[in-house]
Amino acid sequence: MSETISTEAFQVLLDRAGISVKPEHMDEMRSAYMLLQAMRERVRKPRGYDAEPAHIFAPAGR
Amino acid sequence: MTALHDLTIAEAAPLLKAKKLSPVELTASYLSRIEAFDGQLNAYIRVLPEQAMAAARKAEGEIMKGGYKGPLHGVPIGLKDIYNTKGIATTGHSALYKDHVPEEDATTTRLLAEAGTILLGKLSTWEFAIGGTSFDLPWPPAKNPWNLAHDPAGSSSGSGAAIAAGLAMGSMGTDTGGSIRGPAAWCGISGLKPTYGLVSRRGILPLSFSLDHGGPMCWTSEDCALMMEVLAQHDPLDPGSADVAKPDFAGSLQKDVKGLRIGVIRHFFESDAETDPEIKAGIEAALVTFRELGCEVVDVTLSPLSAYGDAATLISRSEAFAFHEETLKATPELYGELARQRIMMGAFVRACDYVNALRERGRLIAEIATVFESVDVLICPTMPGVAPKLGDLGNMMSRSRPSFTRVFNLTGSPALSVCSGFSAAGLPLNMQIVGRPFQDDLVLRVGSAFEKATAFRDLRPAPWVQQALAAE
Repeated sequence: MSETISTEAFQVLLDRAGISVKPEHMDEMRSAYMLLQAMRERVRKPRGYDAEPAHIFAPAGR
Repeated sequence: MTALHDLTIAEAAPLLKAKKLSPVELTASYLSRIEAFDGQLNAYIRVLPEQAMAAARKAEGEIMKGGYKGPLHGVPIGLKDIYNTKGIATTGHSALYKDHVPEEDATTTRLLAEAGTILLGKLSTWEFAIGGTSFDLPWPPAKNPWNLAHDPAGSSSGSGAAIAAGLAMGSMGTDTGGSIRGPAAWCGISGLKPTYGLVSRRGILPLSFSLDHGGPMCWTSEDCALMMEVLAQHDPLDPGSADVAKPDFAGSLQKDVKGLRIGVIRHFFESDAETDPEIKAGIEAALVTFRELGCEVVDVTLSPLSAYGDAATLISRSEAFAFHEETLKATPELYGELARQRIMMGAFVRACDYVNALRERGRLIAEIATVFESVDVLICPTMPGVAPKLGDLGNMMSRSRPSFTRVFNLTGSPALSVCSGFSAAGLPLNMQIVGRPFQDDLVLRVGSAFEKATAFRDLRPAPWVQQALAAE
């Protein structure tokens, strides 16, 4: 995975999402985006059929 | 005699019940103190003196007529300004909601009022509970009572600062990634993130639906337990509310902790996240105390801290953006810079990432449940360091230090922050105590036992008063 995203490529993502970033915050946002990308990569892992999304958990003793 | 603002709820309640302490006198004392000092601390966004005094007179009349309701009757509190209050602006500390006046109370607001509490006012927060310590909002950020140059943490910044400074006897915070426990840690108080579903979220401005928790912040864990007696109610209007038997908070506090098995998540603070030596020393000293109290202490191993942080961050950013997308696009200028940037990141989390994060969440919940088969509570730090200078917090995301608190938003576990001592600079150290789902009473019992076995509750942040006066 690339460790950076160009300003132009990031601008495409911003345009697609319909949001804007002030020029002075662009570098910070690009940097944060790459951190998010790394998180996305890490949660992608082989899982079995039974690895369902969790929204609730059973109370203790039940 | 203890000053009124130094009384805990547990100390004040019997005096109020016995008519030896007047709710009117108590409330007037707090309002006077807020007027004198909050101009320096910024804990409150909105103070409600007339309403508070009216409620205090009502409480006094009820008690005098033999209508004492319980330990919160006549107790002055504050609410983080994301709790809806009928007829009173609930702003989220944001220009966007500056004129937002709810037509209904949040369920928790109502429960606390019915218990006879006195609402002193609405407390500062990070904007919409996410924005960080910001200086571009309609109200200034709260400061840390232990040193006004330092940060109180957030997002329940005013809730933590007000308790530590003696500007409220109890307060309500909310916690999506650590927003009760962080300010509790840096302000040196006790703050409980209850089990998900135990306290209603109805009427609280949402940040991340599946990670948001409301909970109490007080000087002691015992006081948090007294508030939880009122707050822990099934709410059919909150779809996440659990219909379970209320833990026996008062009864649990009467028991000791002898024989409990404490699991220390040592790798969290020894290798997973850089942690200040003073914080680590505070934890080790606390473990000595627990052994002296008859607990067995063992090390336990979980997945790396980052595994929890990744899943929690992807979920929270997605859910926050889902809630804010429309207004963020339509009126970005009404958000502060930090909130806008942080919420915006949710736009880059794809649906499959969100679902995979939820699948990972399921695995991690199961992992914690397995660990809890062999221990009663878990311990690790709340925060990896003491309060930094105001404005020195990271900007976009926590880059260098994964969060110790977010773990338990992901798992829904009850998690309590208590003061574990003081740094050489006089700032509070911290410790987090975590329990099985719906064993919030046990978590508070362990916290209270620690507080009673140590002298850290005897020290109040008096120096800030001198700082405030010097700045006048």
